[in-house]
This record gives sequence, C-alpha cells and structure tokens, in this order.
Amino acid sequence: MTISAYTERSGSGTEETDGLSVPWSRPSPKRRGVSARMISAVTILVVLAVWALSAHLQLVSPVFLPSPVAVWNKFIVVARDGFVDATLLQHTVASLGRVFAALVAALLIGVPVGLAIGISTIGRGIFDPLLEFLRPIPPLAYLPLVIIWFGIGEPSKILVITIAMLAPVALSTASGVRGVSQERINAARSLGATKRQVVRHVILPSALPSILTGLRIALGAGWSTLVAAELVAATRGLGFMIQSAAQFLVTDVVIMGILVIAAIAFVLEFTIRRIERALVPWAGRE
Amino acid sequence: MPHLVLDKISIHYDGQPAPAVERVSIDVAGDDFVVLVGRSGCGKTSLLNVAAGLVTPARGSATINGHPITAPGSDRAVVFQNDALFPWLTARENVAFALRLRGVRPAERARRADELLDLVKLTDAGDKRIWELSGGMRQRVGLARALAAEPQFLLLDEPLGALDALTRERMQTTLLDLWTASHAGVLMVTHGIEEALVLATRIVVLAPGPGRVVRSFEPGFSRRYASGEAIRAIKADPAFAAARGELTGAIFEGEVA
Repeated sequence: MTISAYTERSGSGTEETDGLSVPWSRPSPKRRGVSARMISAVTILVVLAVWALSAHLQLVSPVFLPSPVAVWNKFIVVARDGFVDATLLQHTVASLGRVFAALVAALLIGVPVGLAIGISTIGRGIFDPLLEFLRPIPPLAYLPLVIIWFGIGEPSKILVITIAMLAPVALSTASGVRGVSQERINAARSLGATKRQVVRHVILPSALPSILTGLRIALGAGWSTLVAAELVAATRGLGFMIQSAAQFLVTDVVIMGILVIAAIAFVLEFTIRRIERALVPWAGRE
Repeated sequence: MPHLVLDKISIHYDGQPAPAVERVSIDVAGDDFVVLVGRSGCGKTSLLNVAAGLVTPARGSATINGHPITAPGSDRAVVFQNDALFPWLTARENVAFALRLRGVRPAERARRADELLDLVKLTDAGDKRIWELSGGMRQRVGLARALAAEPQFLLLDEPLGALDALTRERMQTTLLDLWTASHAGVLMVTHGIEEALVLATRIVVLAPGPGRVVRSFEPGFSRRYASGEAIRAIKADPAFAAARGELTGAIFEGEVA
C-alpha cells in the first residue's frame, strides 16, 4: 500500500516540478520528433515561397530565375517530349546506369583492396599510398587525363565515377576489417577455422556494416561526380541535360534537372538505409 | 586418455622487461577439471592462451597427446569471457559453426546443434538472434558452440566473469553437467574462489611477478556433485568453508594486507 502510494506521488511529482530534471532534457521524444520535422517542412515551404514571390514580383529576370510553376511545367514537358533528343526518363536511366556500373566496379575492386589493407601488411603497404593519393583529388582534375587515355566514350565516364567511389569503399572496408574483435577471430580459429574460413565466415560479415556505410558514401561521391563526367561529350544523362540547357540559357530545365538529381540522391540514400537495416540488423546492437 | 601438458612454460611478451610467466607446468588429463586462480598479473590467461595455441611460449613445451601445440585447433575449443558469438547468425547457426566449417550437411548440423542447445537448456532458443539473448543465455550458446567441435579439451577463459551473481551460481552446475556429459577435459581461468572450489578437480594457484605456481589443491567437491550430491549441500558442508579459507589464504599469501 505504502509503496503504491509512494510511486503514484513520485510519478506525478516528476511530471510537474522536479528540481533535478532540466526542462528540455525531459523525455518527450514524440513531440520533439514531430516538431523537428515540422520545422523542416516550414523551412522548405518558406524557401519555396521566397522563390515564388521573387519570381512573381520579377525581382530577378525570369531568364535567371523562372517561377516554381514554370519549372514544374517544364518537368512535365521534358518528361513527355524530352529535351535535346531524349526524354527525362532516358536521361535519368543513362545517368543511373553509369553510376550503378561504376558502383559494381568500385565494389569489385574496392572490397578486396580494403580486405587486403585490413588483413595484410603487404596489402596495406601497396594500396594505402595509392588510395591516399587518389582520395583527395577532385574528379574534375583527373577527368582530362582519363579522356586523353581512354577517349570520350562511355568507359571513360564510368571510369571517372569508379575512381571517385573507390576510396570510400576500400577505406571503409579496411576500417571494418581492422575493427573485427580479436576474440571473435580467436574463437573461430579454435573451432577449427582455416585462415581463409576466418576471412569468409568472420571478417567479411563483421565488416559488412562498415562496407555498407562505405557504399553509401561512395554512392554520394559517385552521384556528384556524374555531372562532371557527363559534361564531356555525352549525348544523354542528367548532367548533360543541365549542361546543354545552360548553354542555351534554358534556366527552368537547369533548375528542374538539379531538383531531379537531388530527388534521386534522396531516394538512393533512403533505399540504402533500408538495405542496411535488412542486411545488418545487428549493427549497433552487439 | 587425452592429455594436455604445459611443461616448464615461460612466457615473455615483446617489449616487457620481465617474463609474464616463468617455468609453470600444468597437466590436464581427459577427465580433469583444472582451474587456474590467482591475483591479476599472474599470467593465468596467458597460460590458457598457450594451451589454445594463441600465444607462443618463450621456453618450455606445450603438447596435446604428445604433439606440440603450434596453432589453435578444434581439439581445444576456447570459450571467452565475452561470448564472441557471431551476431549475423542465429543461436542455432552459431552452435553449428564448427560443423559448417567441416562441411557437414545443413540438416545434420541443425540436428546436432539442437541436441547441444537441449544440453545447455536452450531448447527453444535456436531461432533467436544473439542480441535477443541474455548474458547467461549467450554464454550457454558459446559453450554449446565449443562442444559442437567435439573437442578433447575445453579451454574456458573466465566464462562466467561477465555474468551477474545469480546467473553465475546457476551456470556453475551447468558447467559441471557439461563437463560430465561431454567427456572433455577442462582448463579454466577464474577470479571466483567459490567457483574454483565447486568446479575443480584440481585448483592451481598462481602468484604474480613473474607468474608461477604456488600451490595445488584437489578439493574433490565437483566429483561429489558428479556422483549425485546436491550443490547446496556441498556448499553447506563445513569442509567447503574450510577449503575456502585455505584457498583464499594461498591466493593472498605473501601479500601485505
């Protein structure tokens, strides 16, 4: 009896005035989550409103800043009739195709390289300086060289994106491999695992969360390199579409293209997070 | 009978001025439950790692059935303090890990794993993910996983160290049951004085600086449990309290209180 009375009293006490708890640290995750989202939504609406208003008042010439409605109409038109000989879907597919081809290549090269760096001294000795050399160079800087060597065809564009993706994939893999607990490896070895089995059954799965994080960063890097790669003699692709539109001062297509690129990046990020949750549900729960 | 022998082992870690362990000999027969106790820094885990093949001694020889120990092997399965389970596998798949490494067919290894889960009283936990299990349950999965390799020796490195006191108490009898059921010799490291007394057929007391054997006991309480006596009755026996005092004295011998 006494106990229940006590808990009741202390329960109502914490809700109203508890000298020890700081008001803003009080757990009300629901309300806080909603309000953060609402603030974000309001921010976006305000940006849109400022954009619409300045276009409407013609503060800036429509050549430089078309209204949101004009951009939306352009989106419909380009989706239906196309721009510079290809529909919006065809441009998007061309771009996504390049990014995914590069992603596959970056995984096929980057994961083994990362494993080599993480596992063996020789591997680290060989690949670490190469990656550290490549990593800080902006893709635009090596693009001309890639073109001199491999021409202006599709392989050059994919190669440039692959190079941009390689370092994040390899370095994340390596850091995942180095983070594998020694106890886990020792346990596997004492259960009879050969070195190869340790890599296959312990190190790779342990590093998987880290590899997926690398993949996410790589996709971001690749997507932003895409436009640069498509500036050069492409006939299709979102970057090419924006570049051609800019040359003719078709600003509404430029802005529309930028928004499409942003939307696709958002969808990709979201998808990878879903994949992460499905593939490595144990991450952060060990 | 299987025989694990550490003969005059000295261990010297790189960069350390003094050896961690000097001339320690320990002998584990196939039906022994040998427990190493001692203050921190006495090298008990190092010795266990030598037996596991994870640490190479500077001097002395480690052999199993007369063959030198040079690398880890499934004849000596190790269970660590932190369970070191694989979170991407279910409890059953964890237990079946050693069988998978050997290429045992899936149906057969699931059957074997379920038997072992039964043995550690986790009959219905096979499909559970590791993070859904409590500390005690995880350690049971770890033990079942080690037993799946059908080792001649179990090497236990403070297997109950991370558990709460009540779970630890219960796990003591589980360990004894497994020892009886598996016919494996056990070499175990612990900090728990009572745990050592309950479990061991032989207790080896080590002292630090450098690690060396100071005494060896044969308490015999685990044999009494194995022949059917209740664990509470054993612990209530005045002989148990006396052994406890003696062991505590041996561990802290020479230390200024």
